[in-house]
Amino acid sequence: MIDWSDEQLAVRDAVRRFVEEEIAPRVDDLEHGDLPPYDVLRKLYATFGLDQLARESFKRSVARRREADGGGRARNGDAGGGGSQAALTLIPIVEICRYCPGLVTALGVSTGLAGGTVMKRGTPAQMERWGLDLLTLDKIGAWAITEPGSGSDALGGMRTSARPDGDGYVLNGNKTFITNGPYADTIVLYAKLDDGSGTDLRHRPVLTFVLDRGMEGLEQSSPFRKMGLHSSPTGELFLTDVQVGPDRLLGEGKEASDAGRQSARDNFVTERAGVAAMALGVIEECLSLSTRYAKDRLLWGKPIGDFQLIQLKLAHMEVARLNVQNLVFRHIELSSLGRSLTLAEASAMKLYAAQAAVEVAMEAVQLFGGNGYMAEFRVEQLARDAKVFQIYAGTDEVQVTHIARDLLSR
Amino acid sequence: MAMNVVVCVKQIPDPAAPSSLDPGTKTLNRSGKLILDDSDSYGVEMALQLAGNVEGSEVTLVSMAPGGEVSGLRTALAMGAARAILVSDDSLAGSDALSTAKVLAAAIRRAEPDLVIAATESTDGYTGTLPVQVAELLGLPSVTFAKSVATDGRNLKVERQTEAGYDEVECPLPAVVTVTAGVVEPRYPSFKGIMAAKSKPVETLTVSDLGLDASQVGWAGARQEITDVSEAEARSAGEVVVDEGDGAERIVAFLEQVKVV
Repeated sequence: MIDWSDEQLAVRDAVRRFVEEEIAPRVDDLEHGDLPPYDVLRKLYATFGLDQLARESFKRSVARRREADGGGRARNGDAGGGGSQAALTLIPIVEICRYCPGLVTALGVSTGLAGGTVMKRGTPAQMERWGLDLLTLDKIGAWAITEPGSGSDALGGMRTSARPDGDGYVLNGNKTFITNGPYADTIVLYAKLDDGSGTDLRHRPVLTFVLDRGMEGLEQSSPFRKMGLHSSPTGELFLTDVQVGPDRLLGEGKEASDAGRQSARDNFVTERAGVAAMALGVIEECLSLSTRYAKDRLLWGKPIGDFQLIQLKLAHMEVARLNVQNLVFRHIELSSLGRSLTLAEASAMKLYAAQAAVEVAMEAVQLFGGNGYMAEFRVEQLARDAKVFQIYAGTDEVQVTHIARDLLSR
Repeated sequence: MAMNVVVCVKQIPDPAAPSSLDPGTKTLNRSGKLILDDSDSYGVEMALQLAGNVEGSEVTLVSMAPGGEVSGLRTALAMGAARAILVSDDSLAGSDALSTAKVLAAAIRRAEPDLVIAATESTDGYTGTLPVQVAELLGLPSVTFAKSVATDGRNLKVERQTEAGYDEVECPLPAVVTVTAGVVEPRYPSFKGIMAAKSKPVETLTVSDLGLDASQVGWAGARQEITDVSEAEARSAGEVVVDEGDGAERIVAFLEQVKVV
């Protein structure tokens, strides 16, 4: 794949029109007015039939699961079309991130992480109960793993506990930096099994539960104030003796008792590839805005684009755009072949793309000078938003360890 | 009663991209990728709404473009049109409005329409004469500048925009109607629609397929000639009005002068 196909360009153009007509006029409210992102995301889904596509995909997934559970041979995903599906997922990510990366974070966590985990690890009954509403955005999901004392060491350092109680569990602990946490209807939550066996906390099995808003003992905080990504509500969750039945344990005990660790890791590759697409959107927009500004802004009677120091910035931005785009294309191409990135490859892609987005966005601010520091010119928002790419979905430092571990194991 | 609604759509060079004139023919350079004329998206939307009201109805696109170009047609097919007829033939280069109308009328006749919808004018040519020429050639009634269109399958009811307001017009079907921009909100194509568009039928025809002679179209058949082109005058600076307490009155007076209010 060396470029978007005609159909992909048609999708891009349609989404770009939606972003410019429906999202761009609301960026101020989304970023600074505490307008939750969900209505505009639902409109996006309804406009492009993504809710209907999600329903159809859901039916196929449940049918496959029932077939597999009935002794049939499990099939992975739809036959063929993986590349076009990946492109259809990534193109809106790129386009929305030109204006509002926080929307993608809120969307991705709800449908991809929360919905995706239920669909991958849940029983057919659990898929029916929670999965469909999450995939269609009828309900908003959160994916709760990080805790105040454990971010990069989320699984080992996790302290939230699940104590067996009858045939269910009692949950205690708290989670932080939870995207959609303040508004989530459905929460996929990871907790350590506390069965009194005396196993070292670090090595206790991790279980995955599904909670609903309003459950007794579950408190959802108001949104944090953040450096950027203001359109993505982030908050804390507090669990005090939350009683859950066995029906809320994902898989209902059919899988290995430590399935939560694998469940969390399952998401790493998808999540990191998605962040690279987000970075591409930020880079494309910063380059576009910067190029236009370099032509229009006059200094000493000449467009600043005539000066070589400005040209150098633009050239570096273009190199970054080409590199990140090629990484995204490679991911799509692999998907079309029915393959996926290895964890190390996804980590390398995310590490490079995140750093490139931050460098490009900060250079855009510099190129715009005083105007770049002003919100009106938008690059300052993109620069603040881009910084999180180096932190969430695994910090740069964690990506380095995943890449190095793979290299050294060969 | 199910209807076959035909929409005339034009594929034009992207107005957002730099355009140029062919110095030899003094016509617009159409060698690059063409897109659906935005003014036609309203007609497509109107047609889809009318067809959507009656089960079994469908929308057929008719277009004339060089080089077998279908990019703009795919956009309208993605919105929901069922099929398209494209007339593409080297001999069509240089066609004037009447020649184009002859070609489109012949193509539309093959589609056996109950209703033909077109924009009031194209964004690149702006002659605004083609729809009525098509109607005349087809022997159909023509209603122009529609701001709303309704039909019971036998008759057409149109609110026709005028300077003073609108006229209520009725005529029997089949008929040709032109719709003004902004009367409906063109829908976004769904992702499924975009993917389905590539497999929808596009019938590509030549001039001879339509029973026309090459001498009737293109440069050979043109009855008008572009003798010269010149740059548009640069816009002069607008009048600056200082509000001295009478700002509102002066704005209203200006709007009345240009017949906006």
